[in-house]
Amino acid sequence: MSILSFEFLFFTAAVWMVYYLLPRRRRWLALLLGSFLFVSCAGWRSVVHLTVVAWNVWLGGLVLEILKRKEADLRSTEGAGRSVKRYETLQKIVLAMLLTFDLGAMAFLKYEPAAAAWLNDLGQGRWSFPVWELAAPLGLSYFTFQSAGWLVDVYRGKAQAQKNPLKMWLFLGYFPQMTQGPISAWKELGGQLFEEHVLEPEVVSGGFLRMLWGYFKKLVIADRLALTTAVLLGEEGLPGWMAVGGAALYMVRLYADFSGGVDVVRGISQMFGIVLPENFRRPFFSESVAEYWRRWHRTLGAWFRSYLLYPFTTSKAGLALGRAASKVFGKMVGRLVPTVVGTFLVFLLIGVWHTANWNAVIYGAYFGFVMAGAILLTPLWKKMNRTFRTPKGGWMRGVRVARTWILVLIPQYFAFTSGPRQGFSLLLQSFSGWDFSGFAKRMTGIMTVREWVIAGIALLVLLAVDVLGERGVDVCGRIAKARVWVRWQVLLALLLGILVLGVYGPEFDGAAFLYTQF
Amino acid sequence: MEEKKESRRRVLGRFWMRVIGFFLIAGVLLSYATYVLTPKHDYGICSMMNLYEQEEDSVDVLAVGTSLVYAGVNTNVLWSEYGIAAYDLCSAEQPFWVSYYAIREALKTQSPQVILLDAKASAYTRDYSKRGRTILSTYGIRGLENRAGAILACVEEPLEALDYLLGLPQVHNNYGSLTAEDFVLPPDNGGRGKDWKGFIEVDEVESHQRPSVVATTMGRKLNEREEAYARKIFELCREEGIEVMLVGIPNPDYAADQMYYNALWNVAEEYGFGGIDYNDPDLRFGLRYSSDFADWQHLNVKGSVTFSRKLGEDLRERYGILDRRGDEAYASYERCAKKWYEGYEFFESA
Repeated sequence: MSILSFEFLFFTAAVWMVYYLLPRRRRWLALLLGSFLFVSCAGWRSVVHLTVVAWNVWLGGLVLEILKRKEADLRSTEGAGRSVKRYETLQKIVLAMLLTFDLGAMAFLKYEPAAAAWLNDLGQGRWSFPVWELAAPLGLSYFTFQSAGWLVDVYRGKAQAQKNPLKMWLFLGYFPQMTQGPISAWKELGGQLFEEHVLEPEVVSGGFLRMLWGYFKKLVIADRLALTTAVLLGEEGLPGWMAVGGAALYMVRLYADFSGGVDVVRGISQMFGIVLPENFRRPFFSESVAEYWRRWHRTLGAWFRSYLLYPFTTSKAGLALGRAASKVFGKMVGRLVPTVVGTFLVFLLIGVWHTANWNAVIYGAYFGFVMAGAILLTPLWKKMNRTFRTPKGGWMRGVRVARTWILVLIPQYFAFTSGPRQGFSLLLQSFSGWDFSGFAKRMTGIMTVREWVIAGIALLVLLAVDVLGERGVDVCGRIAKARVWVRWQVLLALLLGILVLGVYGPEFDGAAFLYTQF
Repeated sequence: MEEKKESRRRVLGRFWMRVIGFFLIAGVLLSYATYVLTPKHDYGICSMMNLYEQEEDSVDVLAVGTSLVYAGVNTNVLWSEYGIAAYDLCSAEQPFWVSYYAIREALKTQSPQVILLDAKASAYTRDYSKRGRTILSTYGIRGLENRAGAILACVEEPLEALDYLLGLPQVHNNYGSLTAEDFVLPPDNGGRGKDWKGFIEVDEVESHQRPSVVATTMGRKLNEREEAYARKIFELCREEGIEVMLVGIPNPDYAADQMYYNALWNVAEEYGFGGIDYNDPDLRFGLRYSSDFADWQHLNVKGSVTFSRKLGEDLRERYGILDRRGDEAYASYERCAKKWYEGYEFFESA
């Protein structure tokens, strides 16, 4: 069931009604039933996979906690050093087994077909690996990351094992976040799911507004701009300005699409009284690529930082790498090397997480390279800024934002093209043929003037909301608290805008959310 | 504590009132938006919408079917020459399953003596007609049960029907072609006004030849769904005591349809109904294939006049349809015909 469909809206309304009709203590059961039905709509494989993961994680959590308790008991006993060590090792083994199963299943489903096909190509008939093109269960990445994170948290003692397996199932399969994320940690979502929420009109109204705003971004902006990407892929010999403009519009489209989807999800969740973590914080206002990644898909970045980067840099291997690098490059640079290596690897993985192809590798490696370079050059930048007394705000902020745009724009050429050759070719094309003579004809060849005007106005609305957000104004929150006639006007305008100007309907071969496929 | 409880109750009460109020306003707004964005041209929406504007029980002959009906059954000729109060309730490529629900809806306000059923749909071989304009033609139906029935009959999976039932998802893209007339409620029917009886004149002239067919009674298997709904129409009419007259409207493409028509006639006979296939090579009533068609299927104005003169004659003869001319209750037919003949004086009978 697509979250863009009317069935989904009716389904959500039904779950919402049941949720608030049930006694407070039992309200989570409505979410559980709703989530089960939602996952079931994606097929029995999704239900089975999610259930197996939830069961595995639930049981694993209990085992880890028992081992942890034993370890704690032994620690209070004198002379139990070796036994403590044994329990520590045992916990590590159990965690490794659980993570291998959890992440391994995701990796197999996502990468086996591409890896097998690549190996078969490499072998040129000398060997043949089976290509298992199994349908990935709904929300595979999201619940896998969430479950893996939770296991690590239990291991670290930051989360408690759950006694009720159904609660674990709901934590992983909470239906609003199954298609778009965000990836929530237990401390962000777990408690809220089972709290006794009461119906707060202002909260519900704010959630409804956020949901509509999300649909507006997706249906009015993102899907309208989809035509501009199609032109880039369908035509050769485009003028440079079209290649650059198309890539930039793709970047904006991706933002409208993904952040719109997350707004829908967060809005719906808010109507249940459950606040999901923010996944986007106006990334196009970032002054550096590092800041961009702190604002873009924030929960994915946070997951990789918490469960990969930090453990790597503080691990024995990471520390040893730092010591070895210090001997070669000196203490100042050597200290940074584990972070640089870790950052590069993390971005490479983020790239590959998107999809299993060479474009994803280039995308991830590019960001890894830029980020690693930025870390290494940070001392130099700081020195230069001090020397030239570069202002922090004002025009310099504009320059830094523009620089970030350029740095972020380059890998987009590999995000929407089908292979490295096409990506590089389009990138090279951006530097040639800046002939504007056929501008009007080319633009109206993509969309009519009317459609461009609608897209332009919608983008201006998005820009205005984001600018206000940058200035600390929570537009959704303000409107939710405004007088009823103001609120209703905004809600009705949004509703009408989406339903009339949105790109959807039975005659439209709808573009699913770009991030659902990941 | 009691006060706090009371105040919370009040807050919730206000919230629910506002929710209901908001969705009522949104419903009205979106219904009007759907109406405005629905294309009000020849696809059958207007003829259905306009039927609600007619006086109750003012239609004696209800012509139902495809575009062959609205281009061929000239209600103005039937009125001015025979005093027959006829209404064309049809849409482009209308399958029998849409005809069935359209008839059911029409019977809520009208009690026709005869239903003229266009035989053309019997030649349709596709099972479902999820083609935009076929479904669009149901948008004029106000009765939810009939509209839902027609739409559900048009789609393969019930869930597919939701977008069409809501209406706006299908028509919302028409914002680019809106004119001031689209905002007028009820629709102006392309300047024809409320008195319009569903006939749409086609002025083009295309030269054709009489289809070369050999008279045969052999039938060809009908599409199962078309047959099932044709039977439903016959059953409904029999229950309501309405005569059904099957009509094969002349069209140059008839050779491909002949055996389907024969099969439909056989089905109708089971219910005691019959009709006239005006494509019959032995039936000559002055229609010229060289000048009376607008395209490969539709009669033009001249053809509609010739055909309707013959049809009127047959209707009076077979069913004894009353001449309503001069009856004040049927004044709208007089106004409609008068207005039409102002534009087509040439066809006015002496």
